[in-house]
Amino acid sequence: MTEQTTQETPEKAPSSGIGYAVAGFLVVIALGAATRFLEAHVPQWSAGTPFAKVAKSIEFPIYAIALGLIGNVALTKLALRDALSRGFRTEFFIKTGLVLLGASINLKVLVTAAGPAIIQALLLISTVFGFTWWLGGRLGLEDKLRALLASAVSICGVSAAIAAAGAVQAKREQLAYAASLVIAFALPSIFLLPWLADVFNLSDAVAGAWIGGNIDTTAAVAASGAIAGENALQIATIVKTTQNALIGVVAIGLTAYFALKIERKSADEARPTIGQFWERFPKFVLGFIAASIIGTLYVQWAADAKGAAATIATVNDLRTWFLIFAFVSIGLEFSLKGLREAGWRPIAVFASATVVNIVVALGLATVLFGNFQIG
Amino acid sequence: MSDEPAGRKLNINEDWLAVIVGLALLALVLAGAIPGSVIP
Repeated sequence: MTEQTTQETPEKAPSSGIGYAVAGFLVVIALGAATRFLEAHVPQWSAGTPFAKVAKSIEFPIYAIALGLIGNVALTKLALRDALSRGFRTEFFIKTGLVLLGASINLKVLVTAAGPAIIQALLLISTVFGFTWWLGGRLGLEDKLRALLASAVSICGVSAAIAAAGAVQAKREQLAYAASLVIAFALPSIFLLPWLADVFNLSDAVAGAWIGGNIDTTAAVAASGAIAGENALQIATIVKTTQNALIGVVAIGLTAYFALKIERKSADEARPTIGQFWERFPKFVLGFIAASIIGTLYVQWAADAKGAAATIATVNDLRTWFLIFAFVSIGLEFSLKGLREAGWRPIAVFASATVVNIVVALGLATVLFGNFQIG
Repeated sequence: MSDEPAGRKLNINEDWLAVIVGLALLALVLAGAIPGSVIP
């Protein structure tokens, strides 16, 4: 994900041609196709062997991320990864996948889950942001890095860090560093949380709300939710999308805080405008809601219920392809480059905030989604 | 690394692109232009 910080830099022109972007995109498609192939064939190949049970339980996000990481190593060895990275569009793939996912979420589920999701998001963001900001201050982190880490860990990972970086005028290396931390912590969470949800015997709704509230970056939430099951994926997505929608509020708050307290501007100069809120609002949320409305009306009004279900299943197949492309891109983009020079303090802050996030999100998910019925 | 502030211009464009591509694909599937049989 560190490439997101450098993609906008004009001096990277030699590696940013359209040819490299297309080649990078083709790499993602090829690895996505390989993911589908392995998902379909590994259980057949391992039938009758001691690995049969394990092979059957491996879901597509695991193949996708693993193949992305292998591709990452291979392309780095060939010195091609940076050049091709413009084709690794994790944010575009995941957001398109989430818009398509909206079509399979009944509007009633979306509306019913929106209330607890908003309450969970407000409490979780306030608690985790506040804790990270406080701990970062105690350990002497610079204010801009504190703002980036607190936004990333409490809201929606890399996207939140990017929005916060714009709000507080952070340096590129600070953003690269925050993005690396997000992915380094998200990768194990993708597998750990569905496993823990199973160990704790959580319902699909609670597991989904926990995954959506805890894992930082949206693509990783979708990967983890997909491992936990379709119902958990739906709730995880609604919870994460709600958090995404709140990034604008936090970014505007940070802009005003830094203008008033750090840059010592007047209250009039620091006052946010509606235009700023709209600029920061993640527009894919609108597509997600629109798709849910369209999908719900389509199923409700269809004369042939079976045919309508089959059509939505086709939309789900398309959605799975986009999620696979996003997961492959996570693996391809993963880099620890940003972490090397920053020292232990930001890692300690981020790790502590992640633990607080896990515990508080589990408590809130249990209370708010304990009696939630899906469907 | 430069000291240049980092923004999110590119991501805003990707947001709208994701909405357009996602809803266009949804419309094509619902209209029957993309049948299930063509998706591997």
